[in-house]
Amino acid sequence: MSVIVEPAQVIAETTAQTRRRGFLARLSKNRVAFVSGIFIVTLVLLSLIGPTVYQQLLPPEQQQWRDGIFQDYDAINANPSALHWLGADYLGRDNFARLLGAIRISLLVAGVVELINIGFGGILGLMAGYRGGMWDILFSRLADMLFAFPGLLLAILIAAVFGSVARDVFGSTGRLLLVAAALSLVSWPLMFRFVRGETLSVKKEDYVTAAQSIGARVTRILFRHILPNVLWLVIVAATLDVASVIVNEATLSLLGLGIEEPGTSLGLMIFKAKDKLQQYPLQIFFPALTITLLVLAFSFLGDGLRDALDPTNQG
Amino acid sequence: MQRLLAQRAISLVFVLFSITFLTFLVLYLAPGDPVRQMMGGRQDPVRYEFLRHLYGLDKPFLEQYGNYLWKLLHGDLGLSYKYPERPVWDLLQRGVPVSLQLGMMALALSLLVGIPTGIYASLRQNKWQDTGIMALMLTLYSIPSFVLIPILWLIDVWLYQNKLPSLPIAGWGNPENYVMPVMVLAAASAGFIARLTRNSMLEVMRQDYVRTARAKGLRESTILRRHIFRNAMIPILTVLGPASAFLVTGAFVVENLFAIPGIGYLAVQSIGQRDYPVVLATTLLLAIAVVVMNLVTDIAYTFADPRTRET
Repeated sequence: MSVIVEPAQVIAETTAQTRRRGFLARLSKNRVAFVSGIFIVTLVLLSLIGPTVYQQLLPPEQQQWRDGIFQDYDAINANPSALHWLGADYLGRDNFARLLGAIRISLLVAGVVELINIGFGGILGLMAGYRGGMWDILFSRLADMLFAFPGLLLAILIAAVFGSVARDVFGSTGRLLLVAAALSLVSWPLMFRFVRGETLSVKKEDYVTAAQSIGARVTRILFRHILPNVLWLVIVAATLDVASVIVNEATLSLLGLGIEEPGTSLGLMIFKAKDKLQQYPLQIFFPALTITLLVLAFSFLGDGLRDALDPTNQG
Repeated sequence: MQRLLAQRAISLVFVLFSITFLTFLVLYLAPGDPVRQMMGGRQDPVRYEFLRHLYGLDKPFLEQYGNYLWKLLHGDLGLSYKYPERPVWDLLQRGVPVSLQLGMMALALSLLVGIPTGIYASLRQNKWQDTGIMALMLTLYSIPSFVLIPILWLIDVWLYQNKLPSLPIAGWGNPENYVMPVMVLAAASAGFIARLTRNSMLEVMRQDYVRTARAKGLRESTILRRHIFRNAMIPILTVLGPASAFLVTGAFVVENLFAIPGIGYLAVQSIGQRDYPVVLATTLLLAIAVVVMNLVTDIAYTFADPRTRET
């Protein structure tokens, strides 16, 4: 039995393919964004397998020297060497291992925050924009209120007040999740606003009216007709937001309200190294450089994605 | 115009009300007994009950919140936990002018740097001066303050070691203390304002009325001053609100790293010491600053742009 392929389906598939190819082509044309993307992928891989590989390079009995927690008393404030590639900190802990761990924490927190933002802010924005009514008013007001909180203050408040409980009950993972939750509390309203606004404009399009008129279910309209046209905005907003989440996490940790010792975070490394800035400037240099590059890379990638994905920018 | 103002004023009250409620709720749910902490290790049931009553902590939540609001409306911010029986206002009093001074100087500097560089870049559009300045401004905008501060410190230390004029690394009070914190705080908003100014200038330059002005033979400097600059400044006005909020946020890190006794320093300190009345007061104060600044921006906007004044 031969499979009958409808012409419409063929056309749909080929346009989808060209669009996808067009997207990659457009993204790779923007060299800065492309390099940023490669840099980010490299860092993600590095933070995933880096710590283990870095340890495995040594014979088994020495591996704990590079776990980022073990204190090598012969290497306190040591300069970079074959054993400790980026030297060791004021307690003799390996700086490269701690840096890799800090990158992992940064990306992990950013990932969790964006998951919450997309899952919570994005879906609420979709519903509020499409349905309107009570829920729209309620969540829009809530978002307005959270916007009025000056910057990080709410996150600082939540992290500080519940930080010790989270640590005592759930350990360092609990603390990390609390930091992520506190940071997403500050940043989901932005995602909500973006998605709500875009949904409001997309739902007036003819194809949505057409779908409504043939009696399509609400879920079908939302997921098949509106979501694909809002998704680009979600991806761009989330990528750009990662830059600020990384800075915010580091700020919290710097103020002593985020990741705690013996855990590692870029903010914490900078905070600990700042007192010995004069004697050991390298200890602050690497985490500072890493966070700057991370922030720049995510900003460039976000801008590049916007240029490549924005449907109004096809020319 | 008046209707808009009234609407904004109502939403302002609503927002501030919800902020006090949310903050109060978070602090109410906070683990630990502030009175016990206040008393240290001492076991004195009479004093314990006295303090609980003095701070109104023996009341149910809604009554506590109602009392707080009632006192707030009479300008009473309550008593500090950390320094028992001392009014919160006493503690805030010293921080407010310091933060205000820091924020104002940073805002002024960011405008003084951002607007001229943005205009210059727009006049050299796509030349190397434009690309260079915009790359620099993007870096300033995205580099976190806690990265910028160590860089400045290192330069300062180098200057000191080479017997060149250098600045104090931390502290507040003398003019030489102001230089580094103000620079760091202004950096991000200067970068943002410069980019915005450039884009706004380029947008206005494309307008028909600029072409008309040029066609009727006005001098280029007049066109620039009267037709382009004044219209290009309108978007800058709208970001003054968000920019000031940005300065408030940045102040947390700057004040804490430079040991400046402002509101951001006080906020972080009092959170660490679980001095919740002070936390409430600083939160409210910073929120008022942001909300009022947004309102002022809106009003300024209606004055600057006649098109929004029609009704």
